[in-house]
Amino acid sequence: MSLSDLVLSIADNKQMLGLRYAEWATRAPSLEADIAAAAMGLDDLGHSRVLYGCLEPLGEDPRGPERESDPAGLRALPYFDEPWTEWAQFVAANAVLDTAFTLMIEACVNGSVEVLQHRLRKMLMEERYHFLHGRSWLRSGISAEPLNRAWREAIEWFGPPDGETAQLHEDGRLSLGPAELQARLQERLETKAPDVKVDWKKWDPIRRRGSKGAIDERTFAMLRGLEEKRFAAQSKEA
Amino acid sequence: MRSSPGAWPFDDVTANYKRVTGDAVEYEVYARKTRAEPLHQVGSVVAPDDDLAAAYARATYDEERWIEMTIVRKDHVIALWQPGETSET
Repeated sequence: MSLSDLVLSIADNKQMLGLRYAEWATRAPSLEADIAAAAMGLDDLGHSRVLYGCLEPLGEDPRGPERESDPAGLRALPYFDEPWTEWAQFVAANAVLDTAFTLMIEACVNGSVEVLQHRLRKMLMEERYHFLHGRSWLRSGISAEPLNRAWREAIEWFGPPDGETAQLHEDGRLSLGPAELQARLQERLETKAPDVKVDWKKWDPIRRRGSKGAIDERTFAMLRGLEEKRFAAQSKEA
Repeated sequence: MRSSPGAWPFDDVTANYKRVTGDAVEYEVYARKTRAEPLHQVGSVVAPDDDLAAAYARATYDEERWIEMTIVRKDHVIALWQPGETSET
């Protein structure tokens, strides 16, 4: 796993987070929350584009042709595999996962790689409002299941204590390693992570997840532009 | 409770949560585009706390290039006089 693999993972996860946020833009509990869902969705989709744009200057673009045909070619977490059916899932993702991605971006910005230092800084300003939104809704109380799941996936996503993410930290390319990222996440959310036991032997270091699976077919088709084609005007030849 | 458009895959999902805006208060949103102009009211949001109000204000009113944006709880504004009154009353 290289730094490019990690950046691609952040990009894919932010793309899926943005899409899942946007799905709630007419379903959140208030008009203000609808607008916030739409705005945060746009932010995260924009962030993913910036992150994809960093792959080439990093010298290595790990995206292969399989991403066009195999949804498991994308590197998003299981949390995003299916559309969320409860507001609590939105809140847990907003508070825990969005903040986890932000902390990793902070680790990139404060690390030694120049292109990441410069290009990712602005995201941190926008993410401040995602954090305020997520933390405030979290304080209002949500069910334990999505919250524990989000914590588990965040901890898995940070990576094993002695893995390649820890090595990137030791090399100075990331300012924080997995242990520091988890500690910082608890500090930000003013809460202790649930007791999570991860079987790192089953963990996929490329997709940064412990379970198989992939995003649903419809979302994958939308990402490839196939859903939009359903609504396109018929051509004359057709 | 808001009604759902019912499109895939969200049928009835809005039945699973309650609005938290029952305790919400109104915040007025002020902004300006240049240092030369004063802050002026650009709108308002309803939220249960300051953090959420800040997030809502930014999401709702950030379409323009403001150099400054600030919010204030409407019930913290002290009215001196109102339409129909004068400063002498």
